Amino acid sequence: MNPQIRRRHFLSMVGIGALGTTALAACSDGDAGDEPADGPVDLRMTVWTASEDHLALFQEIADAYIADHPDEVSSVTFETIPFEDYTTNLTTQLAGGNAPDLAWIFESNAPEFVSSGALVDVRETLSGTEGYDFEDVGESALELWEDGDALYAYPFSNSPFVMFVNTDRLAAASQPNPAELVASDGWTYDAARDISAASVAALGGAGLVVRDFDYMNWTNLASVWGGWDAEPWSADGTTCEFDSPEMVAALEWFQDAVFVKNAIPGPGTSADFFAGDTTMTITQISRASSLDGSFNWDIVPLPAGPTQQENIVGQAGVGVLAAGANTQAAANFLAFFTNPENSASLSLYFPPPRESLLNPQTLAAGNPLFSEAQLDIVVDSISGATTKPSHANFAQVDTTARGALDAMWSADADVAAVAADVCEAIQPLLEG
Amino acid sequence: MTSITTTGRAGRPQRRSAWRRRDAATGYAFVAPAVIGAIAFVIVPLGAVIWYSLHEWNVLANTFTFVGPQNYQDMLSDGALHDSLIASLWFSLGVVVLNITLSLFLAVLLNQHLPGTTLFRVLFFTPVVVSLVAWTIVWGFLLQADNGINGFLAEFGITGPNWLRNNVTAMISVIVVQVFKNVGLNMVLFLSALQSVPEEIQEAARLDGAGAWRRFFSITLPMISPTMLLVAILTVVGSLETFALIDVLTDGGPGTSTTVLVFYLYRQAFEFNQFGYASAISVLLFVIVLALTLLQWQTRKRWVFHES
Amino acid sequence: MSPDQLTPERPTAERTSAASVAGAHGSSPARRTRRAFGSQQLGRAALVFLMIVVAVPFVFPIWWMVTSSMKTTSEILSLPPSLWPESPSIESYRQVFELQPFAQQYVNSLYIAVLVTVGTMAVAAFAGYAFARIRFPGSNALFVLVLVGLLVPSEVTIVPLFRMVNSAGLIDTHWPLIVIPILGAPSVLATFIMRQFFVTLPGELEEAGRMDGLSRFGIFARIALPLSRSALAAVAIFTFLKSWNLYLEPLVYLSTKSNFTLPQALTQYVDAYGGPIWNVQLAATTLTVIPVLIVFIAAQRQFIEGLANSGLKG
Repeated sequence: MNPQIRRRHFLSMVGIGALGTTALAACSDGDAGDEPADGPVDLRMTVWTASEDHLALFQEIADAYIADHPDEVSSVTFETIPFEDYTTNLTTQLAGGNAPDLAWIFESNAPEFVSSGALVDVRETLSGTEGYDFEDVGESALELWEDGDALYAYPFSNSPFVMFVNTDRLAAASQPNPAELVASDGWTYDAARDISAASVAALGGAGLVVRDFDYMNWTNLASVWGGWDAEPWSADGTTCEFDSPEMVAALEWFQDAVFVKNAIPGPGTSADFFAGDTTMTITQISRASSLDGSFNWDIVPLPAGPTQQENIVGQAGVGVLAAGANTQAAANFLAFFTNPENSASLSLYFPPPRESLLNPQTLAAGNPLFSEAQLDIVVDSISGATTKPSHANFAQVDTTARGALDAMWSADADVAAVAADVCEAIQPLLEG
Repeated sequence: MTSITTTGRAGRPQRRSAWRRRDAATGYAFVAPAVIGAIAFVIVPLGAVIWYSLHEWNVLANTFTFVGPQNYQDMLSDGALHDSLIASLWFSLGVVVLNITLSLFLAVLLNQHLPGTTLFRVLFFTPVVVSLVAWTIVWGFLLQADNGINGFLAEFGITGPNWLRNNVTAMISVIVVQVFKNVGLNMVLFLSALQSVPEEIQEAARLDGAGAWRRFFSITLPMISPTMLLVAILTVVGSLETFALIDVLTDGGPGTSTTVLVFYLYRQAFEFNQFGYASAISVLLFVIVLALTLLQWQTRKRWVFHES
Repeated sequence: MSPDQLTPERPTAERTSAASVAGAHGSSPARRTRRAFGSQQLGRAALVFLMIVVAVPFVFPIWWMVTSSMKTTSEILSLPPSLWPESPSIESYRQVFELQPFAQQYVNSLYIAVLVTVGTMAVAAFAGYAFARIRFPGSNALFVLVLVGLLVPSEVTIVPLFRMVNSAGLIDTHWPLIVIPILGAPSVLATFIMRQFFVTLPGELEEAGRMDGLSRFGIFARIALPLSRSALAAVAIFTFLKSWNLYLEPLVYLSTKSNFTLPQALTQYVDAYGGPIWNVQLAATTLTVIPVLIVFIAAQRQFIEGLANSGLKG
């Protein structure tokens, strides 16, 4: 081959490239189509659930809507994007000018979506829809999705974090039952740690697992540090608080539980509570569907830390994208999708934000594995709960903090020093 | 390799020039699909990326503002970018060295006509036909702290390292998984090259009293150096393109130890929504690949046998 | 290991070390010299043992994948790891087809890969031939232009390509997965391989064809192309595998499950929270791997020889 790549060849390449750019640049200045379509439109909602049951229910609601509004909407497609790549993939669609009409959004990305103008204000549409009963929606559930008077998404799912306990393992290791400790106000993180450590010493396996934390998704530790009243950053999101005494104390407790007490499995281990080799796990109630009856279990509220007992929920919102082609039609469908009747149907799988539905009776249908007493715990865990950390620059903060936190997950780590490093790493991003 | 075979001295001048003209037209027709494809799907998108790189592009807010060389200036002071360049360097170096050494070693081993050679050739090649995602999923499990490989090591009383949780072993892990996946392909290329080394030359060298190592380095290696060049280029470019593997195995961690350039680029674009900045990184990546490839071409005369 | 084992050689009378025989290669009985038969066997046995050891990391992951696909999740996670399922069950294989339109996804992957392979072979054969054998103004510049594709990682251009595909209204169709690989960067390696092969053709062959009054197309179709069968086979193998393994592009272009390709589908065997359903995922993985393996094993001789004569030797 002869590429002594000569300059003129290179220049001709660059020239052709430059020509091409103009063609593409022409379509790169935002093509948000707001002009209402003439006939009925096709709507698309991106979701991260792949469950056939969920999708069948959504489709059922959509079909009912289409039957009622044949001249407004001709079809609604529910498009599953894998959980792992959800936000990434949604962004790609936006970048490609292929925005869906509606999208599920994680709580962690809420401020970013809310503040960027990517979503449409749906408050008017929802509260103005007849029979919607907007007041029924819990005020605290909406906070994350509001900006001033505007409401940018409906928090359709508020799944609380609770502690699942493998009572067979507790019995085999002759450990006290957390349910009794709850009654005697002895259900603390220290107790949970000691029980877990003792059960590991007696039976092997794993003790306490913060599910899906896996030393990567550090925001799941919010269920732990809530007991220390710690926060990763200030409420307005501008100041890092990883180095606060509360947070350092919480992280020191955690690090000690992992590497000294052997109560929490270390990094890189794969303990699965639902496989039966784990004593207890902090996770959301929707995970109960993985229970196969191979062992006896119970649920208890999150333990108390030295400062307080704090409940935490994982939220998910559904919003209308400003870049979608049919924003009003999409908002109208959202109002139908989340009206009282359909909210009741959805609460089969997603704990609802509506006060009238937050009771054991409503939740029982969707959670047949739980006893009424257990559902009471679930309901109590939702009311007054905080959400997991979120930020307007979440993706960057999340990744950077994760990288900096990695230094903490070893036996000889200096927790306070690493916490300070985390702050140093994320502070510019918080301000940015 | 560099010369283009000329047609013989057939026919009279006019006939030749007529043939030439027709021939040139045929040539253009033959290369048209490849050239049009290259312009439409390589050059134009590449130009677009350069164009994007001069902009601040916020996908969520749907803004696209011209900022000139700002993104390139930002790259200079971006510590994470520098880390990713270093990670890329280690990763590519590790992959290229290990892959070429191992594939050559396996090829020589298979060329010994040992019993079972056919079987082993198949075994070494097997990962190549396994889908990358599948291969990575399986290794992700095998590299866990207390299961897979370490589970077996524990049987022998050995405590294996926490592969994916330590900066050094994580890097080694992604290199090894990548190499085992693709080494079979290079092995086959080397094997075919080895088998085409004429027996007579070896024979003559041996009669001259050249030892086995000597023959390997003075005859075999030079004879297969063109294959070596191609394999080297493909492996270098391939190592710089490694994305899915990093994504599934380490997600760039622990810390940022395995955040190679292409992963950092993906992260800036699709996770941080910094499409403008990511485009600037794309340009950098392209320049790096270009430079490395040209370097290999320019130096080939020094070490590729057929080129001198 | 001894250097003698690194190069094939015929044993000679002067060399009697055990190691030197390890590489006995193509020696005819007539050339056999008197040597310690046992040590020769020993050296070869050592090499075979070495190969077995080296083969472990290549084979074990696949073994683990296949056996674990027949275990329960808890058995997959149990310690010590088991090499064989306690009670092998194909339940997870049933779930593979229940959770996703897996058969449809299989067909998708297969037909896309076949189309891309055939298309690439055609484009690469024509272009590779012209760049190698035909003199036309600007051929080198055009070749360099095409070669740029070799240097463009797919991540670099995915956003502009996505915009192009989207403005053509072809999102969530298989078109971008077929057309772009055939004409774009992924096919450049194939063009390069074909050119490398055609460059090595002796000019006399074509000259003879011209004397016989063949047109350029005739020379290409009747003389050059039949000779390039092995290079084409190599191109076919490379291209098929590349298409079969494509991950990023389907992820970006496709959104409907029934349109998915296999690598993408494999990542979908997760519960509602992204946690892998190990045994089902591994069953699906096994199903994608085994057929390709069987084809490869059945045709491995042609496969390897195809690559061996592919003109990739520079």
